[in-house]
Amino acid sequence: MENQPKILIIDDEEVVLDSCTLILEGGNYSVTTASDGTQGLNLVREIQPDLVFVDLKMPGIQGIEVLEHITEQDPTIVSIVITGYATVTSAVEAMKKGAYDFLPKPFTPDEFRIITKRGLERRKLMLETIALRKEKEMLRENFAAIVSHELKSPLGAIQQNLFALTAELSQTLSESQNAKFERMKVRIDDLLKLINSWLRVYSVDISKIKDNFTTISATSIISKSIESIEPHAVRKDITIVPTIEDNLNTFEGDEGSLVEAVVNILGNAVKYSHTNSQIKVNAREIDNNIEISISDSGVGIQPEDLPYMLSDFFRGKKDQTSEDSHGMGLTISKRIVEAHNGTISVASTPSKGTTFTIRIPCIN
Amino acid sequence: MTQGKKLLMIDDDPDFVEGIKAILDAAGYIVDVTYNPKDGLKALQEKTYDLLLLDIMMGRGAEGIMIARKLRKDAKLREMPVLIITGIREQMAFLFPGESIHPRFVAVDELVEKPVEPKLLLEKVSTLISMAEARKAEAG
Repeated sequence: MENQPKILIIDDEEVVLDSCTLILEGGNYSVTTASDGTQGLNLVREIQPDLVFVDLKMPGIQGIEVLEHITEQDPTIVSIVITGYATVTSAVEAMKKGAYDFLPKPFTPDEFRIITKRGLERRKLMLETIALRKEKEMLRENFAAIVSHELKSPLGAIQQNLFALTAELSQTLSESQNAKFERMKVRIDDLLKLINSWLRVYSVDISKIKDNFTTISATSIISKSIESIEPHAVRKDITIVPTIEDNLNTFEGDEGSLVEAVVNILGNAVKYSHTNSQIKVNAREIDNNIEISISDSGVGIQPEDLPYMLSDFFRGKKDQTSEDSHGMGLTISKRIVEAHNGTISVASTPSKGTTFTIRIPCIN
Repeated sequence: MTQGKKLLMIDDDPDFVEGIKAILDAAGYIVDVTYNPKDGLKALQEKTYDLLLLDIMMGRGAEGIMIARKLRKDAKLREMPVLIITGIREQMAFLFPGESIHPRFVAVDELVEKPVEPKLLLEKVSTLISMAEARKAEAG
């Protein structure tokens, strides 16, 4: 609503139009009148009023129909019905068609002023609600961009200056001074990594994944995932053993993102496995679904944590001291699998191990 | 090798620029700085540089991309190596749909993420400059 609220009055009686205009005069409103429904609806389109008064009984298009058209065109326009034949039935009907209020003729100037004020107040609230909702949506949509620029940039600038400073002072710093700089760098680096993983979650664009669908095989996904995680596994003397059923069907999907999904789970498996242990990766076909399961014999998940393992940003109790975990990996995996119309589930026994199972339908 | 090589940096974050410039200064490069695309393009027209260090997100959006595009169309500047230093990762390319910022976008381009370790920065800068020089020598 700009400075002057726009009010449209639709009535076939000229005397009503004149007196209403007169009553609102000096009230800082922009008042327009129409003497029948057709003209009125044209004006609704043209001036986009904030508030419309509609006479129910008019020659030509009836008031009720006018109401319907107004609501159809812009549900945020507030309509108030005026009529000389006030009956409960017609009032109820008008309300059903989207009228906000009801003003029986004859009315006093004060009654008209008050109902105008209330109608405009209603309009203002509606517009505010819409603006707030839009703002909220935009905030969500732009979250990634906002985080990226507003949080990452200053941290990046701090870190870059620390880099420059330590390089400049490399000859003169004592060991303990150097350690202090290193601590700062590590903590800032942790923060940057945390922001990047947030960004990753928000940038898992389901429609984009679907655009990349090609015919792919579980075998290739598993071998690429293992290849990517093997260097970490080797360090802990962990062997990853794949068992893939013969003649598995191919299916439609985005290989890159599915590899990421499996790598996230495999990475966790390596992290929570004991040294010198085994991780099993199995692939089979069951009920026209490709099933990939990843089982470790590691620390397992506490029963009270298990139901929340796949919730956004969840970190198990045991995990909270770990620096490099932000609880985002599984969230990302879940979104990717869901973009493939698949499911992901988890079963675990503390101190025995954990199994994550991904199921993706083969469309063939 | 690095002595006297002239670099231009275009980045709208003066604090970040200082952190980069200090490293390059110490290595013997001569670094000019501009803080917006407009001044950057002007400097490129007025002086000759051996390398451009370019930020992506400036002003109202991915204006760095526009600079890179302009350079590729400019007969005089086409061959200048460009090192993109950005806070955006590849996966963030959805911010400007259709605008590829992949390092292979133009064969000589390189992309590093902010913040960048001094060793990596110096490596990339010297590699890009010597590659450009080799190309020039080849072209005779």
